[in-house]
Amino acid sequence: MTQPTPSAADAALIAALTAEYAAVYAYGSIGVHLPAAGQRAARAAEAAHRSRRDALVLQLSNAGGSVPADRAGYALPFPVIDQASAVRLAIEVEERTGAFWRAALPVTTGGERSRALAALTDCALRATRWRRTAGVTPLTVPFPGRPG
Amino acid sequence: MALGGTAAAVTGCGLFGREDAPDPAADPLAPLLAGALELAARHRIAVDGDPTLSDRLSPIAEAHRAHAAELARLTGATPSPTPPTPTGGVPTGDATAVLTTLREAERQGREAADQACAQAPAERAALLGSIAAARATHVEALK
Repeated sequence: MTQPTPSAADAALIAALTAEYAAVYAYGSIGVHLPAAGQRAARAAEAAHRSRRDALVLQLSNAGGSVPADRAGYALPFPVIDQASAVRLAIEVEERTGAFWRAALPVTTGGERSRALAALTDCALRATRWRRTAGVTPLTVPFPGRPG
Repeated sequence: MALGGTAAAVTGCGLFGREDAPDPAADPLAPLLAGALELAARHRIAVDGDPTLSDRLSPIAEAHRAHAAELARLTGATPSPTPPTPTGGVPTGDATAVLTTLREAERQGREAADQACAQAPAERAALLGSIAAARATHVEALK
């Protein structure tokens, strides 16, 4: 039996779910390279991504669509070998995940859109805090989540 | 005959004429555009008053100007060459007081952008979401 084609909103949320899976995986490599305060921030960020992941799994399951499974591993964009590369990855994870939530905005409405905006904003805030940790300036970007 | 009459009537109504172009001032995003220019002006005035804040505030002012340019493009507005004078006074006092004032302005601006994003048609939602998220990060960067 073929699965029904997901709506544009479901497709965007499925894409966001795969990004959240990858974010949770990436944070497993980040915290171990950081001092205590950074480890706490990484744990909080990982918990936030787990929470979004779980909410998406529940929402997509309740809607009756197919929910992609988590994978055993995800390719990281570069090796994480020390504090600097760990923080750089944290910034990139938040920027990339935020882009998926931004892409969900045009295809959602009401509460779904509000949740997507909250997720985009949370990613942008964590990226800002990680830039501060890394000593990157400016701390902010003009259009969080926008490609390019 | 009827077809020709209809076409003439449509042309007569100025279907392609400027008199039917939407009024940018009536666009629901007009207040958000004005708010972006005002926020940019607040940061610029704060830097003028305390140049040591430039590294922190200039990128934020630049972001607001970029937001205004995108909103103007979207609404068809022509930004005024003269920066607006912020309503409710300009940030003054020591750096801490200035940053507190700016944080509050950014917080209010973020609320306005959140609301605009929630109510926007699909084609405007992503830009407004980015503007709302950017303003939230400005509050964080001003801490």
